[in-house]
Amino acid sequence: MTCAQCRELLDAYVDGELPAADAADVREHIASCAECAREHVALAATARRIGETLVKYQAPDVLKARIRVALAQPDSLAATAPSGTSVTTRRLAFGGLGIAIASSILTFAVVRAVSPDRSVTDEIVSSHIRALMPGHLTDVASTNQHNVKPWFNGRVDLSPPVPSLDSIGFPLIGGRLDYVQERAVPVIVYGRRQHLIDVYVRPSTGDRKEANGETTASARNGYNVIAWQSNGMSLEAVSDLNRPELEQFVKAFSGAR
Amino acid sequence: MPPAPNDIDRFERIVLPHLDDAYTLARYLLRDPHEAQDAVQDAALRALRYFETYRDGDARAWLLAIVRNCCLTRHNRARAERANISFVDDVDVAHEGRATDARAVEQSERAALQRALDGLPPEFREVIVLREVQGLSYREISDVVGVPIGTVMSRLARGRRRLASALGYDAREAG
Repeated sequence: MTCAQCRELLDAYVDGELPAADAADVREHIASCAECAREHVALAATARRIGETLVKYQAPDVLKARIRVALAQPDSLAATAPSGTSVTTRRLAFGGLGIAIASSILTFAVVRAVSPDRSVTDEIVSSHIRALMPGHLTDVASTNQHNVKPWFNGRVDLSPPVPSLDSIGFPLIGGRLDYVQERAVPVIVYGRRQHLIDVYVRPSTGDRKEANGETTASARNGYNVIAWQSNGMSLEAVSDLNRPELEQFVKAFSGAR
Repeated sequence: MPPAPNDIDRFERIVLPHLDDAYTLARYLLRDPHEAQDAVQDAALRALRYFETYRDGDARAWLLAIVRNCCLTRHNRARAERANISFVDDVDVAHEGRATDARAVEQSERAALQRALDGLPPEFREVIVLREVQGLSYREISDVVGVPIGTVMSRLARGRRRLASALGYDAREAG
C-alpha cells in the first residue's frame, strides 16, 4: 500500500468502516510508515474532539407538545402546506384564518349580550384553539416553574399560581399572555401525553357562582372546560383531554402550593 | 386521506423517539432554534403523511432524511426572501451561569468549533453532524443524504481536515 492509498482510507479506518482486509492493509502500512502513523493519530484526535465538543440537542418540550397536538388533530395534517406551496399561498391561508377569527369574535360579541358568562368561556375556548397554532403556544417556554412565574411580573397585575405537577404526569410546558375580554390574561400551559392544558387566570369579578373549592364543568366544540375560584382569582382549565383526567388535573392544581 | 388511528399509534411508537436527533440535525443545518423547531414540526407531519412508504428498517435515518429535506426547503426559501441569512450565534451554549476556568475553556473551544462548523459548506456540515454528533454509519449517512458511500467518505474526510485546520488542531493539515 502506498502512502496516498493509505491517506485515502484513513477516515474510514478511524471510523471502523473498512472491510477487514483493507483495515489490515492500513494497519500494516501505519506500522511501518512514521508519517502516516502521525497522520492517523492526528485524525483520530480530531474526530474525537469534534464528537466530544459538539452538543447533542434535546427537542424542546414545546416542540414535542406542538407535534403531539398536530397529530391529535387530523385537520392540521390536511392544513399543512405541501412541499412547494409558496409563501404567498400560506399568507393567504392565514389571512383567511384571520377573517374566520374576526367573524367568530363578532359572533361572541353578540352572544355576550345574551349570556355574559357563556361568552367568556367561548372566548377562552377560542383563544385556546388559536394558541394551538404553530408558534403561539407559549411566550415563555420552560418546564421550570421558577422561570414561568417571574415572567409574568410586570406583565399582569396578578401573580398566577404555577405549581409543579410533573410527578403526577402533568409536565409544565410554559406560559403566555392572552387577551380575554380586553384584558391581558396569564395562561399557564401543561401537557398530558399528546394533550395540552391551558389554565387561564383572571381576577375574580364576584359574578361567579362557584364557592372556594367548587368547580363547574362544561364542554365546547369538543373541549372540556373546568372553572373554579381560588384566593380571589377565577381560573379556567381548557383542554381536549377527557373530563376525568382534567378533573384530576384541576384537583392537583388547586390543591398544590 | 387522513392516517388511521392505528397508523398514528405506530408512528408515535416508531418515529417520535427520534425527535431529539431530528432537532439536533435541524439545529445544525439551519443554525436557528426557532427555524429548527418549525422544520422538525413540518418534517414530523410530512413523515406521518408518507408513513405508508416507510418499510421496516432504520426509522431514525428515514426521519432524518425527511428533516434534511425540510431544512433545505426552508433554507432555500429564506435565501430567496432575504439576500442574507442571519447568522445566529451559539447563544444557548454560552448562557450557562458562572463558568469555572475549566468550563470557560471548554465553552470557548465549543464556540470556536461551532463557528468553524457553521463556516463549512452545508454538504460538509451535514456529514460531520450525522457522523460525529449522531453516530450514524456511512451506510446510514448515505441513505439520509442520498449520495454514494464513497462520497460520504470523501466529504467527511475533507470536512474534518477543514475543521482541524480552522481550529489549529494540526497545522500540517491544511486543505
